[in-house]
Amino acid sequence: MAAAGKEKSPPSKITVALAGNMNVGKSVVFNQLTGLHQHVGNWPGKTVERAEGTMNFGGRTIDVVDLPGIYSLSTYSMEERVALEYISTEKPDVVINVVDASLLERNLYFTIQLLEAGVRLVIALNQVDQAQKKGISTDTTKLAESLGVPVVPMIAVRGIGFHELMTAVVDTAEGRVERKPVRIRYGAEVEAHVEAIAEAVGERSIGLPARFTAIRLLEGDDYVRQLVAQTNEKAIATAEENAKELEKEHGHSAATVIASERYELARKMVSASQSVAPTAQTFADRLDEITTSGALGYIIMAAVVASMFVIVFKVGDELSSLLGEFFLSLEPSVMSALGGGAVGTLAWGAVEGLIAGITIALPYIVPFYAIMAILEDSGYLARMAFMMDSVMHTVGLHGKAFIPMVLGYGCNVPACLGCRIMETDRERTLTVFLTTLIPCAGRTIVILGLVGRYVGLEWALGLYAFDLLLVFVLGRLAYKTLPGEPSGLIMEVPTYKMPHAGTVLKRTWFETSSFVTIALPLMVLGSVVLKALEVGGLLASLSGLLSPISVGLLGLPPVAGVVLIFGVLRKELSLIILAALSGTADLASILTAPQMIVFSVVTMFYIPCLGTVVALYRELGWKKALVIILSEVALALAVGGVLSRVLH
Amino acid sequence: MTLVPLASLRPGDAATVESIDAGWGLARRLLDMGVTPGERIEVVRSARFGGPVEIRVRGSILSIGRGVAMKVLVRPDGEPTV
Repeated sequence: MAAAGKEKSPPSKITVALAGNMNVGKSVVFNQLTGLHQHVGNWPGKTVERAEGTMNFGGRTIDVVDLPGIYSLSTYSMEERVALEYISTEKPDVVINVVDASLLERNLYFTIQLLEAGVRLVIALNQVDQAQKKGISTDTTKLAESLGVPVVPMIAVRGIGFHELMTAVVDTAEGRVERKPVRIRYGAEVEAHVEAIAEAVGERSIGLPARFTAIRLLEGDDYVRQLVAQTNEKAIATAEENAKELEKEHGHSAATVIASERYELARKMVSASQSVAPTAQTFADRLDEITTSGALGYIIMAAVVASMFVIVFKVGDELSSLLGEFFLSLEPSVMSALGGGAVGTLAWGAVEGLIAGITIALPYIVPFYAIMAILEDSGYLARMAFMMDSVMHTVGLHGKAFIPMVLGYGCNVPACLGCRIMETDRERTLTVFLTTLIPCAGRTIVILGLVGRYVGLEWALGLYAFDLLLVFVLGRLAYKTLPGEPSGLIMEVPTYKMPHAGTVLKRTWFETSSFVTIALPLMVLGSVVLKALEVGGLLASLSGLLSPISVGLLGLPPVAGVVLIFGVLRKELSLIILAALSGTADLASILTAPQMIVFSVVTMFYIPCLGTVVALYRELGWKKALVIILSEVALALAVGGVLSRVLH
Repeated sequence: MTLVPLASLRPGDAATVESIDAGWGLARRLLDMGVTPGERIEVVRSARFGGPVEIRVRGSILSIGRGVAMKVLVRPDGEPTV
């Protein structure tokens, strides 16, 4: 990439990438810039979210790509690799590096790597107000001088600094900045090794400056090494030699030496541009103390989780009955519009499926994810991960896995997607597996509507406890069976802050949208298939076919077989169909109490619903998805069979 | 010279990082988050039941699992350097 300062004709379109650490307000910047003009997808072939949007500024169309939040360009994680690949292959016109003014040293460690990667850089110095509260003030001119790139102070959550930021971006893209980015220089020894390797690498072998590539090779970066090895074995050999020498000189690995020196450079830049005044303990600090220390922390966590569920079910109930009444009033006119006959019946099936999704699932899912988003944005989820770490270790996971598992109580589909926060493949697989065993809102409807209503609430709660016990046992089993070592928790704990409304709404929408786009269409399809079977008179023969399992193994009435089949489409459907097929809403007249318990348990475990199956396939591939599905069917039948014999 | 694992420190203790005795990936992550040899860290709190250690390093707070914290060797304040 040409250095900034070179004059070129204004491009009609500018591509800008947002890069930065986690918890720096990068997504707030992204949302402010692109508003509703954004699109969220995946990076090709990766389960890493790619958010893109467009904006207009000063008569130009600007494409904005939001890179994942990362701490380094070292390709240890999938997110880091995605970011490096993007920078080296798609070559954005400008990279906006969003940095947290109150954690400048660690943020500049990443900035330095962006400079080394040769991108045209603009620094968005965010959260200057929060930094001020901590007694930190920044001289942006001095910081701009030490980096050689524009630095724009911002308070993104209040919309301050955007005009200045975009002006700097356009100026940089069009070559109207005076300064040149500084050349990062390490100590004499490191420099000598870097130069030796850079010479062997030659110019721009992998779409990145030779110097950058040389540093990565010296650090032992596996991904960059593989890329270079395809064309240049000599450079690899040179790098290995130099790394060994550097290690001998310093007594630490080359990666350690370079990271330390890079941090030293960051520290120098910080001390040249920032001053810190002592401050008293803030409210956020005290809150942190109370919510994470000792027994009180756990009591507060239990209270938070409990009130979350109470609020979700209260709000969900209200919304559900409101929406239900509304759709009920529309039903006659829709029905008559569709007309009778086979086609009309099938169409009505589709409408029914849609209505059920909207009135039964959405009212619980939306408030659930809204509350989760508030907990996440405020910083509380990170504290939960901290407190739950030792518990999660018993199943070979670490604290972060607790978050998708709680998400599972809403809907398993976004929960599976949420497992992406786990760093390694092994942990992602294990977390996804356990997440699909968490009773979602749909399964909760079955458990509460059947066991809770007819057998007793204590039995329903007992089922939840049983579920957790099983998750624990299976988690331990899977942990012992899966090859590989468990990795530990290394997580930044952000300072508590007021949740930002826009971010919370955006997050809620993101989680809900995966339900709407993956699960809801399958619900509609399922209802159509059901109606078709009903019209074709196939339900009875299906029931007969399944009776060895439903009646023989599980001790349920024959009708249960087909009901469970439809539970695959959506779990709560099984309850509705059970009532419909039996011709009575009084389920106590068809099932005995033990049968209800067996039925609920089987529903809880047997196959994740079709939406989750799709999510499993997307996140893990069909092989792992199949293993999970089959083992859960076996589990459900085994547990159901044993229970039906014990309870009778 | 007394080097101890980071996991053995108590809340309020301060120490200097000496070395990271872990594989490439884990060491990389710790280094990138600012846990580098020679750097001073302070233990903010320690979770119960063998849970993670929370440390302050370079102004940020990191939560580090017990197993990982066993692999970070530190020299507690007051120990002489060699």
